[in-house]
Amino acid sequence: MPDVILKNLPFLLKGLWTTVELTLWTIIFGTILGAVLGTARFVRIPVLGVLSTVFVEFIRGTPLLVVLLMTYFALPALLGYKASAYGAALLGFVLFIGAYIAEDFRSGLRSVRPSLIQAALATGLTRWQVLRFIIVPQAIRSTIPSVFNQYVRLLKFTSVASIIGVTELTGAALLVNARDFHPVTLLATVAVTYLVLCYALSLVGRALYARLVVKT
Amino acid sequence: MNYRFDFGPIWDARDLIGSGLLMTVAVSLVSLAFSVAIGFVVGTFSASGSRPARIVAGFFVETMRNIPLLIHMYIWYMALAFLRLPAFACAVLGLSLYSGAYVAEVVRAGIGSVRRGQMQAALATGLTRVQAFRYVIYPQALRIISPSLASLFSQLIKDSSLASVIAVAELTYEAGAIDGQTFRTFEVYITISVLYLILVTIASQAVMLMPGARNETASSRFADA
Amino acid sequence: MSDAPTIQIRDLHKSYGVTPVLRGCSMNVSRGEVVVVCGPSGSGKSTLIKCVNGLEPYQSGSIKVEGIEVGAKETNLPQLRARIGMVFQHFELYPHMSVLDNIALAQVHVLKRPRREANERAQQLLARVGLADKHAAMPVDLSGGQQQRVAIARALALDPQAILFDEPTSALDPEMIHEVLQVMSELAKDGMTMVVVSHEMGFARRVADRVVFMDAGKIVEDASSGEFFSTPRTPRAAEFLSKILSH
Repeated sequence: MPDVILKNLPFLLKGLWTTVELTLWTIIFGTILGAVLGTARFVRIPVLGVLSTVFVEFIRGTPLLVVLLMTYFALPALLGYKASAYGAALLGFVLFIGAYIAEDFRSGLRSVRPSLIQAALATGLTRWQVLRFIIVPQAIRSTIPSVFNQYVRLLKFTSVASIIGVTELTGAALLVNARDFHPVTLLATVAVTYLVLCYALSLVGRALYARLVVKT
Repeated sequence: MNYRFDFGPIWDARDLIGSGLLMTVAVSLVSLAFSVAIGFVVGTFSASGSRPARIVAGFFVETMRNIPLLIHMYIWYMALAFLRLPAFACAVLGLSLYSGAYVAEVVRAGIGSVRRGQMQAALATGLTRVQAFRYVIYPQALRIISPSLASLFSQLIKDSSLASVIAVAELTYEAGAIDGQTFRTFEVYITISVLYLILVTIASQAVMLMPGARNETASSRFADA
Repeated sequence: MSDAPTIQIRDLHKSYGVTPVLRGCSMNVSRGEVVVVCGPSGSGKSTLIKCVNGLEPYQSGSIKVEGIEVGAKETNLPQLRARIGMVFQHFELYPHMSVLDNIALAQVHVLKRPRREANERAQQLLARVGLADKHAAMPVDLSGGQQQRVAIARALALDPQAILFDEPTSALDPEMIHEVLQVMSELAKDGMTMVVVSHEMGFARRVADRVVFMDAGKIVEDASSGEFFSTPRTPRAAEFLSKILSH
């Protein structure tokens, strides 16, 4: 292992851990947010459905960096609070990835055949029961590949948090580089680390899908 | 909430915003051209019958798209600084390689969805392989992949905001500069969000206007049941 | 009360936008009766029976199921639907649930039966349709005929007053049609009230009490099955019969 990596290993590993942590928290909260928003749009819940449509379309039209600049600078200025870089990044990532998951989940919900929904209604289940027992379970399964794509995207996007001062993997490497100046080694190491992490995450997705997929 | 909105300073900085917007469009369009070129070449290789070609193409795609775009930009700008590429070129290279990998995946899927018999039929009429792709396979694949291309293009425009970190004076970069001068933080960022939204909307509509592009239709039947 | 019709349809009109689908249909189905509805495709047969359990809304006329108006705002549709079973052309088993769970779901969540009781009932019905050993199978692992028999068991599990069949055999391979018709014939023998949209004229002749012939959104003929097959009253019905019986 090159000297510059070895010498700064604890610091870089701490950055790596921050990347992993940020990714996992965002996956949890972003998935919940996405499921709620996607369902609200699908069922066309009054008010909430329209609000989620506006929110989802707005976020999906905005670059991630701009979303982070909003949660770090603009929202605190607007609402008069002090944001930590980590908190702002987490909030930004959750809002961002939640909007994309909402769309994926909604198309998963829509992919359930209308005739299957009719059959469930015909047994006397209410609309909410049909949603809960028939549509949502199938949508979750069919959405796994696209949702894991979002997770992988998210993992890569956590590097953007370095711009607002979060010392995750990229931020840590940039700090080390500012002191020791080994850009080739540092960036190559970081790139390979992301590659491995992304690959591992997509393998988890594939395994989960293979386990849960419903053949029809 | 006792924030007082004041969009006056933003309006005063409209020249900066305008030039940032132009730079964003320039970076996006140039990168789009390169990433489509890369994507069609690599995508065709990975859909081809040749195993080595598939492996090389697959390696390219997996590497390029699993490295964060920000790292792509830093690599060209910092790690390969001895090349002395201007920031604009670094941004375009990073964006093109990154998005090109995604375009390649879409193209591969598109070619895969055209029936095998089409290629055989084209070859049987005496067309060369290149002609068969040009006149028979690509037109059919394009129709299928146009929605995905539209969303990749939108993605590319948004991703171009990361060029701001290597000092390309595009929209996000100018927003930071205006924020620094005026302290109208919220107004600046909401303004550029809306501008991005407009750009993205125009871009996705433009792709959907391509001949033969598919439209999304049909709304949820469930909500009406 | 017992001689009031189970299903009573009066002057039913329905259209999709400007396209009329049903143009004034009236018919009764009494308790224990088996009625086969036939007619050319696009004649409105499927739409008619989907109106009966409120899966399709209608614009005017009336449908009463055991005296309850289906289209009335205050009607509790889930409760009404639980009392009329339905079997679909493409089976529509829930692909993510085992056969047993398919049959138990509505028992538990609509009839509020305890899970154990629902499972027992499901198992009992599986035996009745000849699939006792398939309770743990997933729908995708069953043949079409088996899936349709499970779908019939799913309908029966709610102890319905009547069952609607929407072309139950038209998506099946010929060798599987028989096993499904067999189960349906047994149901008829046990006194189940049935409305069957079908082109299976053999089944209609053997099992049905009445045959209803539809054409272009209207009920053209409504006769006992013996009468319908021996002396069809309308030329349209005669023509339809000769076409369908000639192959």
